Amino acid sequence: MSSLAVGRVSSERGASSKRTSAQRAATYAAVVVLILATIFPFLWLLQMSLKTEVAMFEMPPKLVFVPSLRNYADVLTGDFLRSFRNSTVASVATTILSLLVGVPAAYGLARARFRSNGLISYWVLGTRMAPPIAFAIPFFLAYRQMGLIDTVPGLIIIYLTFNLSLVIWMMRTFFEGLPRSLEEAAYIDGAGITQTFLRVTLPLSAPGLATTAIFCFLLSWNDFFYSLVLTRTQAMTAPVAVVNFMAYQGWEWGKISAGGTLIMLPVVIFSFAVRKYLIHGLTAGAVKG
Amino acid sequence: MQHTRAERAVAAGPGAHVGARTLGWERRQRRVYTGYVLPALVLLFLVTILPTLFLFGTSLTNLNPSRPNSLQFIGVQNYVVLLQDGRFWNSVWVQVRLSFWTVTLQILIGLGLAMLLNSRLRFLELVRSVFIIPMVLPPVIVAIIWKILFTPDISPINWALSLVGISAPAWLVHPVWALFAVIVAETWEWFPFTMLLLLAALQMMPDEPLEAARIDGASGLQVFRYIVLPLLKPAIVVAVLFRLIDSVKAFPHIFIMTGGGPGVATEPTNFYAYLQGFTFSLIGFSSSISMVILIMTMGLSYLVILIVGRQVEVE
Repeated sequence: MSSLAVGRVSSERGASSKRTSAQRAATYAAVVVLILATIFPFLWLLQMSLKTEVAMFEMPPKLVFVPSLRNYADVLTGDFLRSFRNSTVASVATTILSLLVGVPAAYGLARARFRSNGLISYWVLGTRMAPPIAFAIPFFLAYRQMGLIDTVPGLIIIYLTFNLSLVIWMMRTFFEGLPRSLEEAAYIDGAGITQTFLRVTLPLSAPGLATTAIFCFLLSWNDFFYSLVLTRTQAMTAPVAVVNFMAYQGWEWGKISAGGTLIMLPVVIFSFAVRKYLIHGLTAGAVKG
Repeated sequence: MQHTRAERAVAAGPGAHVGARTLGWERRQRRVYTGYVLPALVLLFLVTILPTLFLFGTSLTNLNPSRPNSLQFIGVQNYVVLLQDGRFWNSVWVQVRLSFWTVTLQILIGLGLAMLLNSRLRFLELVRSVFIIPMVLPPVIVAIIWKILFTPDISPINWALSLVGISAPAWLVHPVWALFAVIVAETWEWFPFTMLLLLAALQMMPDEPLEAARIDGASGLQVFRYIVLPLLKPAIVVAVLFRLIDSVKAFPHIFIMTGGGPGVATEPTNFYAYLQGFTFSLIGFSSSISMVILIMTMGLSYLVILIVGRQVEVE
């Protein structure tokens, strides 16, 4: 383009750069406003958690105040801590289990041309899309017979419904994108299939494994529905526990905001640390199904 | 595979029984891969297909765990009752409105933002990181946040509105405003998804057609209408389908913000199934509602496969 309009560029440069700088300023302003609008609700909960219950209702809201950790102390001395531990154990365990079973399967599906590949894809995607209520009912009935209601293992098993299919889906796409030449070189050097998978392919897959693990963890950590239906008190997870602050003794806004902040902070910090993988996983996962 | 076979042949060297060896190798590979895939498929069968069959089974019964000996086969009676159930049809209508508005708003806001951010902004990475916050937050927290923002006395929104002389409606107890509140929460949570998806698509878009159009004197609006939009269409379709399927699962927002109320004004089908099954203990009837939702989402998923599959072929 520059070669076409060499003569005019110099005369127009002044005007166009003025216009673009004004445009740029407008864009920046718009972006800043949008960012504030996007994080305002999130920050609001955060500041509430540091206020006393009286100060929460003060309007106009005080934006500068002496923070109090009272709400956190209240939350952490009750049963909430146990629900937090349940959430952690269930999320970590189901993530590990899904990776152990799902990653080899994803590799097998990516490398072998099974005739039923299309059907398996549909099955895996369909599982990911299925409404939780459809699984909740049969699992609820089965768990009642098996004594798995209100147990952490019960949660770990039902979380497999979405995590296992997620692992297969994401890792298969990832393995398909890996060049096969290294694997083939390993075969020529006499390595076996499993040896090649473990020693050559897996080390190359660290980014994909990290992304997938993060997604599994987040999905399980964020679960509300299954925990609501399948647990009572012993295995209750943190998201259900925090909602109980709303239900039983009226709305305890202090505990709700502090408990809520405790549930969301690990997620937000974690997501920030791995945001590159996360954005890639979200968009790639969606574009490719 | 062809490639592999050729390389194996070369590696095996002259004089080796190439044909037999590669055939054996391929068969061995297949067997090992089958061994990799099988445990996962068996497990997936146990946690998905088996429960679905079970669900279909219970949908043909009058199972009610709060009553002893209620497990009787009643054929398709639950489905017949469902078709005549006004509350069910109300829930479908709530779901349709909820899905329509949330998906439309998410696409419009996401597209607008993606266009805005699709310049070489220096702090684009930071901006993207901020926008992922609503999406990764636990849905329960999203629901709690918006419950707070829509509850009188504690809501800064009501206070801000009162400053400009507007008295806020009773958000969560008014039939229309309650649905509005749920739509706002849902949209806030998921517009970053459509934005990031469309932004990724915009950044992969080739520059040539855009520049050619500008040189030919097309206005910004014309470029958008005739070039950007058609090129974005596949990404938009994918975003719509994904958000549509997920919108059917909206649960924590309803549970925490409105409880389906006032009355049944914000009670989508999914929530109705939950109430019937776990509040009223009508597991059999609830199963039939769940089957209907399941079949609908399976149909949508099939559409995703069709469309995404075709897209890959074009590429």
